[in-house]
Amino acid sequence: MLVLDRVGKTYPNGVRALDGISTEVAPGEILVIIGGSGCGKSTMLRAISGLDTPTQGKVVLDGIVIAAPHEEIGIIFQEPRLLPWLRVADNVGFGLENRPREERNTRVARALERVGLAEKARVWPRELSGGQAQRVAILRALVPRPRVLLLDEPFSALDAFTRADLQDHLLDLWADLKPTLVMVTHDVEEAIVLADRIMVMRPRPGRIYEEIACDLPRPRDRQSAAFDFVKRRVLAALDRSLDRLAITIDTETKATQGGGMWW
Amino acid sequence: MSLVSMTATADQAAVERPASNARIARFLRPALGLLLPVALAVGWELAVRLGWSNGRLVPPPSVIFNTFVELARSGELQQHALATIWRVIWGFVFGVLAGTILGAITGYSALSHRLVDPTLQALRSIPSIAWVPLFILWFGIFEASKITLIAVGVFFPVYLGVMGAVMSVDRKIVEVGRVFRLSGPAMVRRILLPAVMPAYVISLRAGLGLGWMFVVAAEFLGASTGLGFLLIDGQQLGKPAQIVAAIVAFAILGKTTDWLIARVAAPFLRWEDRFARA
Repeated sequence: MLVLDRVGKTYPNGVRALDGISTEVAPGEILVIIGGSGCGKSTMLRAISGLDTPTQGKVVLDGIVIAAPHEEIGIIFQEPRLLPWLRVADNVGFGLENRPREERNTRVARALERVGLAEKARVWPRELSGGQAQRVAILRALVPRPRVLLLDEPFSALDAFTRADLQDHLLDLWADLKPTLVMVTHDVEEAIVLADRIMVMRPRPGRIYEEIACDLPRPRDRQSAAFDFVKRRVLAALDRSLDRLAITIDTETKATQGGGMWW
Repeated sequence: MSLVSMTATADQAAVERPASNARIARFLRPALGLLLPVALAVGWELAVRLGWSNGRLVPPPSVIFNTFVELARSGELQQHALATIWRVIWGFVFGVLAGTILGAITGYSALSHRLVDPTLQALRSIPSIAWVPLFILWFGIFEASKITLIAVGVFFPVYLGVMGAVMSVDRKIVEVGRVFRLSGPAMVRRILLPAVMPAYVISLRAGLGLGWMFVVAAEFLGASTGLGFLLIDGQQLGKPAQIVAAIVAFAILGKTTDWLIARVAAPFLRWEDRFARA
């Protein structure tokens, strides 16, 4: 169980990025955080990862307070952040350095095969496309088998086709060991495709505005009426979170014309 | 001949010609750089042979070549070259050691940067030859003062290169190391060292270049061996061919050692996403 207990973050310059975030994420749950820019989504993710420490409250994973990066918590950033001097296979195995060589090799090879990159094992990261590089980054985070995987807008730099492809890969890999996923995104459709629960945040200071359960059966059909229904709810909540008028017609046009991207 | 086969042969020719042209171009393009020096050398040789110039102050290539061969045959060239190489090696080793250690420390820690860097930058602005009298007073007129001078010359480019490289290591890459909970030494070995490698190799090559420059200065100032001594000796005895021969020896040694560093470093830098590949 991942617990956030009144987590807050005030930067040294006095800006309150995050205020009183309390929530519990069950093992294997997929929580997607969505909200306008500057509402503390990434700050929250960095606090959970232990890369930054919150100024108020605490993050607790199975009874252990997280104050520094933890071996059971993996993170995937917006950019792949592969190490350019390591070949793809060595990047994937980066977190397995202290395991026996054979175990490392088999786990890396199996992982690469799962996402269709087996023939890229001996290639340098610079030779990968954006989508391939992000797939390698996902493997690098998942191969050590963390209990919690954090994703900070991992697919936002990719084109729509690649993005959908990677969402499928992610769900497929998640199904193996069912780690807890906490993901930040701008993309409403992506949130609904992946999430068990969608957390809408509001800015200045970053707070939880609304939580929307999302229990559509998987795999989820983006064209279905149920999908569309959840999408409207999320878009309406987002609009309200920014103190806009939630006019149904307004969100409807946005849903059809904007392709589900919400900025 | 049918129309079909005609077009086929025409296509074949069109395909083959660029390929063979490219092969010729690959050999010819580097040779283009040789055109000017070879033309000048041949021109000067002819000018002297035809009696347009006596070639006493600017000896023709054949005389230089003969001098070079003679110096090599008598063993003089090797003896002087060895003395010079020896000095450069030691100066390079000390300069690189000091530059790497201080550069790494000042690049890594902001406090030591504030403490040490201003002083070193001030020292850097002193023309290094200005140290010579002091070094001779401190270390005597033999090897120690020469090696120190070379080390000073090598030190600064290496120091600046390492410091700059360490300071500009991508924070995002370092964060990857933090996520995987690398210890201090592991962070250095697995993240920082490979990240600074390209800039380090460049600074080593720059340092070596300065090392070759400073060894000449050091040998001008009282040496009885070394290629620098050959230069001075040639000037005092009026032997321009010997001077040019020594210069040629410097060029060969400088180019060879630079190539050696590049060669040794190449396996570590194969991952680089460079515009031009060597």
